[in-house]
Amino acid sequence: MALPLSYHWRHLFVRKTTTLLTTLVIAAVVAVFTWMVGFDGALRDSLATAHDDQKVLVMRRGATAETNSAIPIEDFNKLNQLNGLARDAANEPLLSPEMMAQTSRPRIRDGGKTWGNVAVRGVTEIAFKVHTNVKLTGAMFKPGAREVIVGQNAAKQFAGLNVGNRLMLGYGSDRDYVVVGHFSADGGPAESEIWGYLPSLMNAWKRTTYSSTALRVNPSVGADAVIEQIRGPAIQLEAQTEGAYWREQTRTILLYLRVTRVLILAMAVAAVFSIANTMFAMVAGRTREIAMLRTIGYGRRQILLGFVVESLLLSLLGGLMGCLACAAWLGGVGNTKDMFGASTFTTLAFEIKLSPLSLAAALACVVAVGILGALFPARRAAAIPVVAALREE
Amino acid sequence: MTLTYVLMQNLRRNPLRSGLTAVAFALPMGVFVVAISLVVLLIQIGEIAEKELRLATRNKTSLTSMLPEGHRRKIEGLDPNRERLRAVCGMRWFGGRIPGEPNALTSLAADPDTFPIVYSDVGMTADDIAAWNAKRTAAVIGRGYADQYRWAVGDRLVLQSTVPPYLELEFHVVKIIENKERANVFYLRRDYLDESLLAAGEEAGRCNIFWTKCNSAAALRSLQAEIDENFANSPEETKSEDENAFGANFMQAGGDLPGLMRTMAFVVLYIVALVAGNTMVMSFRERTREIAVFKAIGFQSRRIFTIVLAESTLLALVGALCGVVPTAIGLTLFPMTQLRIGPLATIEVSPIAVVASLVIAVLVGLAAGLWPAYQALRLRTVDALRRIA
Repeated sequence: MALPLSYHWRHLFVRKTTTLLTTLVIAAVVAVFTWMVGFDGALRDSLATAHDDQKVLVMRRGATAETNSAIPIEDFNKLNQLNGLARDAANEPLLSPEMMAQTSRPRIRDGGKTWGNVAVRGVTEIAFKVHTNVKLTGAMFKPGAREVIVGQNAAKQFAGLNVGNRLMLGYGSDRDYVVVGHFSADGGPAESEIWGYLPSLMNAWKRTTYSSTALRVNPSVGADAVIEQIRGPAIQLEAQTEGAYWREQTRTILLYLRVTRVLILAMAVAAVFSIANTMFAMVAGRTREIAMLRTIGYGRRQILLGFVVESLLLSLLGGLMGCLACAAWLGGVGNTKDMFGASTFTTLAFEIKLSPLSLAAALACVVAVGILGALFPARRAAAIPVVAALREE
Repeated sequence: MTLTYVLMQNLRRNPLRSGLTAVAFALPMGVFVVAISLVVLLIQIGEIAEKELRLATRNKTSLTSMLPEGHRRKIEGLDPNRERLRAVCGMRWFGGRIPGEPNALTSLAADPDTFPIVYSDVGMTADDIAAWNAKRTAAVIGRGYADQYRWAVGDRLVLQSTVPPYLELEFHVVKIIENKERANVFYLRRDYLDESLLAAGEEAGRCNIFWTKCNSAAALRSLQAEIDENFANSPEETKSEDENAFGANFMQAGGDLPGLMRTMAFVVLYIVALVAGNTMVMSFRERTREIAVFKAIGFQSRRIFTIVLAESTLLALVGALCGVVPTAIGLTLFPMTQLRIGPLATIEVSPIAVVASLVIAVLVGLAAGLWPAYQALRLRTVDALRRIA
C-alpha cells in the first residue's frame, strides 16, 4: 500500500517558503520552455500549410528566392507546353504568373519604431485556383482598379493594412492603392503578404518580367515529373515544390531555434538541481518521520516512491504556474512574431499559440524535471537506517 | 574566529547543498553571460555607429527598390559648402554568392571615390585607397568572410549575383577589414558593376541606398529632414535614417535574437535569485538554534546579519564563477561562427560582459540573503533556544 497522496500534498505546505521558491523556479523554466515549443510549433504549422506537394513554384535559374527571380514572358509561355498540369473545369491550365515586390511598413508591436518588409504579390484570378488554401474574408480586388487584399497575419503585424486604408506601392505615378479586403491562408506564409492585380502592380513597379510562377500538378503525373520537365533543356527554369521552397527559406530561423533550445536546456538542468536541493533538505529534515513510517510498516520502495511523488507534485505546481505565466505573456505582450527571410527579404509573420502539443510538452518537461530531481534524495530517504534515525534528533 | 573562517565552515557543513546550489546557479549564469555579451556587443556597435555620423537614405517603399544615382548630386547640392556633410556614397546591392553555394554574401557595390571617406572607420591606408582606385575589380572584404572562405589580400575570386541580371564577376581583394562590426561584408566598385551591367545590356546608374557622412549629430538630423523633404512627392521618395535605426531593422532578421537574449537575461536573473534565496532560507531555518547560541554568547545582531549576507554573496559568487568562466573560455575556444546576426560574426564574450555578470551575481546573492539575514537579525534568542528544530 502506497503512502496516501494527501500526506505528500500536505507536506508541501509545511515549508511554505521553500515550496514557493522552488515552484517559482520551475514555473520560470516551464514558462520559457512552453513558449519555445509554441514558437517551434507555430513555425512548423506555418510551413506545414505551405507544404502542398501538388503545388510547384517556378523561378529563374540561379535565383535563391521568388523575390530575386525574373521570368521573361516568353519563358513563362513555354510553361504552357508542360505535360502534367492540372486543369480547371474550363480546361484552362492551372498556371499562375506572379510578381514579387516588397513594401516597407511600420510594425505594430513596437509602435512603429522598426519597419519590416511586407511581400507584395501581383496575381491574376487563376492564382486563387492554384493557391487553394487562400480564402477571402472580405471583398476581392477588382482587376484594373488600384485595389489590394491583405493577408490576415500581415494586417495584424503591420500598421495601416486594414480595410479602407490607403497605401503607396511601387514607384512612379499612379501608386495610390486601397485595401479592400483580407484573406486567410491556413496560417501559411501567404498570410503575411499583400496581393494585388498583376498587370497593375507590374506597372507600379515598372516591371516587364514576372518573378515566378505557381502551378498545380495533375496528381496522376506527380510533381517530380513536372519539375524534371521544367529543369530540362526545353524550358530551363528552376522548380521546387512549395514545401521544399519554404524549408530552404527558413534555415536561419532553425539556427535561432537551436540556440534557444540550448539555453532552455541549461535552465532546465538548473531547475532539476534546484528541486534536488529542496528534496535533500526535506529528507534531511524528516529523518525521524521517515524512520517512523518505516516502523509502521512502509517499505523502502514505498518511501522512495513517496518522495518521487512529492517532487512531482512540486513540479506540477510549478508547471501549472509556468503555463499560466506563458499564456498570460502571449495574451498580454502579443503572440505574433515575424521572421525576416534573408533571401526573400520579406517578413514571415506567424502567431504563437498554446496548442495541446505545447501543453503536453510542458507536462513532459515538468514530469522529467520532477523525477530527475527527486531520484537521489528519494534513494537517500529510502536508505535511512530505521533504528539510528529514531534515535536522532 | 574570522568572518572568512565562519563562512567557509558553513559552506562546507553541507557540501551537497552547496554543490547543488552552485550548479543550479552556475548554469543560468552561463546563459546570462552569453546573453549579456550580445547585448554589450550591440551597445558597442550602436556607439560606433553614432560616432561615425552616417545617414542612410533609401527608397521610401522598400530597400530593394532602386533610386537613380542622380540623387547623390542632389543630396550633395543641399550643402554646397560642405558644412554639414562631408561626402555621399551610393551603394547598390550585388548579393554575390560563390558559384555553387546557396548563401549570398552581404556584398554591396559602392561609389569608389567617396567610399574611403564615408567609411573612414574601415581604416583604409593611402596604399589601400590607391589599390582600390587602381583596380576596377578591387574588393574590400571583412575578416569574417576572409577567414570563412580563406581569402587573402591579392586573391582573385568570382562571385555570382543573386539578383537580376545574375552577373558573374571577378574580383581582387585589396583590403581586409578588421573591425568586428564589419566582419561579414564585401564591398566592390559600383563603376565596375555598372560597366558590366551595360555590357550585359541592362540598365545601370541606380542605387539602393546613399550613405551620407555628416559632420555633426545636429547636421545629421537637419540633413535627414531636408533630404526626405527634397524628394517628397517625387517618383523616387526617400526615407533617411541614421545607421542605428537602419541596423535595427536588420536585427529583426532571424527572429529578433537581441530581444530573446534580453528576455533570457531577465529570466536567468529571476531564476538564480530564487535558487540562492531558496538555499539561504533552507540553510537559515536549520541553523536557527545555532544563531541563537551565537547571540547568546555575545555576538552582536549586526555581526550575524553580516555573516548571513556574506555567506549568501559568497555562494552566489562561487556559483557565478563556475558558470561564467567555463562559458567564457568555451566560447573563446569554440566561437559560434555560423551565427550571423546582422553584422555580427560570433558572440564574443568580452571582459566587460564577464565582469558585469559577476557583479550582477554578487548583487543577486546580496538580495537573496537579505530576508534570511533580516530574520537572523530579529531573532529572539530565548524563543529560538526553546525551539526544537
